[in-house]
Amino acid sequence: MAIRDDFPILQRNINGHPLVYLDNAATTQKPSVVIEAMNEYYTMNNANVHRAVHTLAGEATNGYEACRTTLKSWFNADRCIMTGGTTEAINLAAHAWGHSQLKGRAIILTEMEHHSDIVPWQMLAESFGNELRYIPIKDDLTLDMEAYEASIEGAGLVCVVHTSNVLGVRNPIEKIIEIAHKNGAKVLIDAAQGAPHCKIDLNELGADMMALSAHKMCGPTGIGCLLVNEETFQEMKPFMGGGDMIETVTLQKSTYQTNEHRFEAGTPKIAEAIGWDAALGYLGNLNLEEQHHRLLNIARYVADELRSMNMTVYGRHDGDDSAVVSFLHPTLHSEDLAHLLDARGVAVRTGHHCAQPLLHRLGINGTVRASFYIYNTMEEAELFIQHTKDILERFA
Amino acid sequence: MTYPKALIELIDDFQSIDDKMERLEYVFDLASEVNELPTSLWSEETRIHGCQSEAHVLLEIEDGKVSLKSGADSKLVQGLMGILTIAMDNLDTEEAKKITPDFAVDMGILNSLSPSRSNGFRNMFDKIMNELEEY
Repeated sequence: MAIRDDFPILQRNINGHPLVYLDNAATTQKPSVVIEAMNEYYTMNNANVHRAVHTLAGEATNGYEACRTTLKSWFNADRCIMTGGTTEAINLAAHAWGHSQLKGRAIILTEMEHHSDIVPWQMLAESFGNELRYIPIKDDLTLDMEAYEASIEGAGLVCVVHTSNVLGVRNPIEKIIEIAHKNGAKVLIDAAQGAPHCKIDLNELGADMMALSAHKMCGPTGIGCLLVNEETFQEMKPFMGGGDMIETVTLQKSTYQTNEHRFEAGTPKIAEAIGWDAALGYLGNLNLEEQHHRLLNIARYVADELRSMNMTVYGRHDGDDSAVVSFLHPTLHSEDLAHLLDARGVAVRTGHHCAQPLLHRLGINGTVRASFYIYNTMEEAELFIQHTKDILERFA
Repeated sequence: MTYPKALIELIDDFQSIDDKMERLEYVFDLASEVNELPTSLWSEETRIHGCQSEAHVLLEIEDGKVSLKSGADSKLVQGLMGILTIAMDNLDTEEAKKITPDFAVDMGILNSLSPSRSNGFRNMFDKIMNELEEY
């Protein structure tokens, strides 16, 4: 049975054409097992987690905590704090760790970052006066590692995207961590795009923090996590106060839980965690490395075809890069092309992809982006290329 | 309300097209209906905010009639401007003020656009009407 048969939405027709879903870098579709797991929870197990002693509460707690256990094992991480997604995870890092640990120290970012890994640090710098330094991008669309090494002195944190959501470029994380640690700086990895495509071992990498989202890896929206090593976890101070994160509360003072719950105030994303756990179970049954190579070959085919249509393609599609193809036509506006592709059932992304500094560096305002995931086929890629050719003949 | 004759014909045209691709193609064709505002005259005053593409419109009143000049880097957006040009250009100002955005609903064109483009179309319309009210 083909992978795509597990995804009900892929059976849809859009505007009279079979859906070709190529917006996976924005969010992925969900297999039946995820939908069924969440449905089962709400149908049979719904309860709040952790405190109550009744059977349903126990089932809900086990389901929620099972996701944490799976994530810690999947990414070989000491600690896993559940969040609302990558953005919330990075904001948590900025508040819970950055506020107490980055006073007077510089923060290093890259020109390639998603807004979610820029804005929280700009906000922190506005409050505490931190210097922000950006690793520039070279003309070959890789990070300027010499400039990075030259800028590391006095830095307390290096924030780097594992894989660019615009270019698909996989950054030299290992080297970045090595240089940071040699100079006493910690490293936060934005793995929103990297985690869905390859297994990342946090402890083997030696990264201190890593943020990711469930919905980019077949899980539900609204949940993600911040993975943290033990040393960093012990340095973090509670950020949001409320129920579930406390040990005791008196009218004068509160004490906090010592485990990850101290950062998860309020009722957590229970159904979403159960859905994410099911997604990880689903992905765990696939050979992700084999899928990565298959999808990269599709991306290379698409990039070559688009270039032959006089498109500018932004990306290199090297061995570790993700299957993302960003491109522009010299005359047909990116949004016009996307509208016309949608009329043929093809879903692609347009705009700045929440990476305006990167696009500014490239000297453009936006791109069309086709991004591929496990259920996409070469036949779909060929159909996308054929539709694009037809559209250019009629409209360009 | 009663629409100008050219607008009624346009509404009829759009209502007779079922295929989304053909509707978009028709909007593309209407890009040529605009009185072009040269890019050299694009400014913060002429910019239509809320459009994902670069879009500009200049409203002037000549002899009591509406004069619309516009331009966009997206042909689809310029086509939407073409629709507004057909709807409002050369109309007596008092007549133009009576036009409501309902004509776009009657046309069915908003269903063929993404929500962001629909908002952009509404922003275009509102900018013209707000400036018209100042006259």
